[in-house]
Parts: sequence; C-alpha cells; structure tokens
Amino acid sequence: RGSTATVKEKMALLIRQVGRQCLRTKVFPVLCTRHIAPMGTTAREEMQKFWNKNNQLSRPLSPHLTIYKWSLPMAMSICHRGAGVVMTTGVSLFALSALFVPGDFASHVELIKSLSLPPQLIFCTKFAICVPLTYHMWNGLRHLVWDAGQGLKMPQVHWSCYFVLFMAVCAAFGMASA
Amino acid sequence: MASLVRLSSLYARGVKPLFLNRCLLARPLVASGSNNKESPALLLSRIHVSPNFYAVSKSASQHWRNERALTVVLFSLFPAAFICPGPVVNYSLSAVIALHSYWGLENIITDYVHGSATFKMAKAAILALSATTFAGLCYFNYSDVGICKAVAMLWSI
Repeated sequence: RGSTATVKEKMALLIRQVGRQCLRTKVFPVLCTRHIAPMGTTAREEMQKFWNKNNQLSRPLSPHLTIYKWSLPMAMSICHRGAGVVMTTGVSLFALSALFVPGDFASHVELIKSLSLPPQLIFCTKFAICVPLTYHMWNGLRHLVWDAGQGLKMPQVHWSCYFVLFMAVCAAFGMASA
Repeated sequence: MASLVRLSSLYARGVKPLFLNRCLLARPLVASGSNNKESPALLLSRIHVSPNFYAVSKSASQHWRNERALTVVLFSLFPAAFICPGPVVNYSLSAVIALHSYWGLENIITDYVHGSATFKMAKAAILALSATTFAGLCYFNYSDVGICKAVAMLWSI
C-alpha cells in the first residue's frame, strides 16, 4: 500500500508541476489568430438540441406526471403557478374590458347590484376571487424565504406547506367577509 | 485544463476556415484574457469555476434578482393601497402587476414551450398581452375610478 500511495503522490505532483510550468510560459503568439471564442453552450441551447434531436427521431415522451406519486409540495408548486395564471387572465380580461367594453365601472357595479343575488353567493364569489390571490401571496412569501436560503429542510418544507394553506384560507375568508 | 489550452495554443488547435484564419477555441478561464497577471496558483484554483463566472453578461442573474425585488415591491403595495389609495398607488399597482405577470408568463413559456419558432411566437404573444393589460389598467386609472376605488366599489356589492 505504501508504494502505490507514493506513486500516486508522485503523479499528482508531476501533473501539478507540469501545469505550473505551462502557465508560467507566455502564450505563444499564434500567427493569424483572429478570434478567441469561449467554449460552452448555454442551458437554453442544450435544451434546444435535446428537443430537436428527440422530435426529429419522433421519440415518444416517457410518462412523468401520470406515474410519479404526487406530494404536497409538488402540488402546491403547480398551484402557485396556476393561481398566477388565473389572476393574470382575470386582470387581462379586466383591462381589455376597460378598453373595449362600453360603459364605465360604476354602471357595471350597478348592474350586478340590480340582480339582487343572494348574499351567500356573493360571499362565495368573493372568497373564490380572493383564494388565488392570498394563496399566491403566502406561497410567494415562502418562495422568498427559500430564495434567502432559509427553510429548505424537508420537515420545514412540509410544515410551511400547511402554514401557507392555513393562512391563505384564513386571509381569503377575512377578505371575503370584509 | 488551462495548461492543456496553453499547450494547444502552441499547436494552433481550432476551427480552420480558408487560408490562415483561425479561431482558437479556448476554455472560458483563458478566453477571459484579463487574468494573465495573476499567479498560476490563483489561476489553477479557478479552473473548474463555471463559465458563468466569466460570462460577458450577468443578465440572467440580474433578471432573477430584479424579479425578487419586484415581488417585494408588490408586497408593500397591497397595504399601501389600503392606507393611502390614490393615483400614485393605482399607477404603481398597474405597472408592478403588469410586469410581475409578464415575467411569470415568460417563465412559463420558457419551461413548457419548445422549439425556436413557437417559442418566439409565444413570447411575442405574451408581450402583446402584457402591454395591452398595462395600457388597459392605465386607461382605467385615468378615465375611470381607478383600481383602489374599483375594488372598494366591487366589495360593496
């Protein structure tokens, strides 16, 4: 064992010294070199290559969402994105109607008031509007905590899931009853 | 390894188009060029640092940072809307919401849309949508009651 260790050590030393020697020498002026291009592809380029190759070969996509067991953090992550999409759609529809639908906002509110909807339905609608907002906000807060490098241990991830769900429902309930 | 690149530069390895034009393919550590003054030991210690360290643009990491900063601003706007509703908060909310949702949609299409043509089309579509949303919200703030008042009116139903 002693002899192989020293052989390895000697090789390591040799490689290091060779390396140092080369770095000490100046770069040999290569004639007619026009460009020095740094190697390396971006993540985006590598993904494109992956998809282009597999689409070209007409390979089927392996099952993923249909076979892996769903976990709560996984479900909450996609719900975070889903809530964002829902709210973006709502805000965009609102903005487009402000631009293209005739009549000001007050007249539309009056129209809804004139329908005399039951208060339970109104409460449920308000709750349904608030849930994506409060969920996205509280889960967004959790994301910011993760971005700060905290709360990344699995037990913390799990209890923060329940915390976010609880706070989101309570906040939506509070907002809807205001 | 930097040592291999130095050796290979002696042999002018690389792409060779017509005549004597050469493009020297080099690892980012060498290609960054500015590190010839450093000691070899320091250079060696950084050989395996990812190329992003020497990236020409830090735009990706700055974008990430800007996304988080905007999220913090958005968090602070909600209590502001309750405490002092008015045109300042209205227009700020319009801008911040439009930008936050635009960046969110951009992330979604980056994740799920593949292929260069459809990707570019999707990017253009969400840019148009987000710009229109921002314009609509600003128009609403200008010629109608404004976001804060509208929420108050809606909640009075």
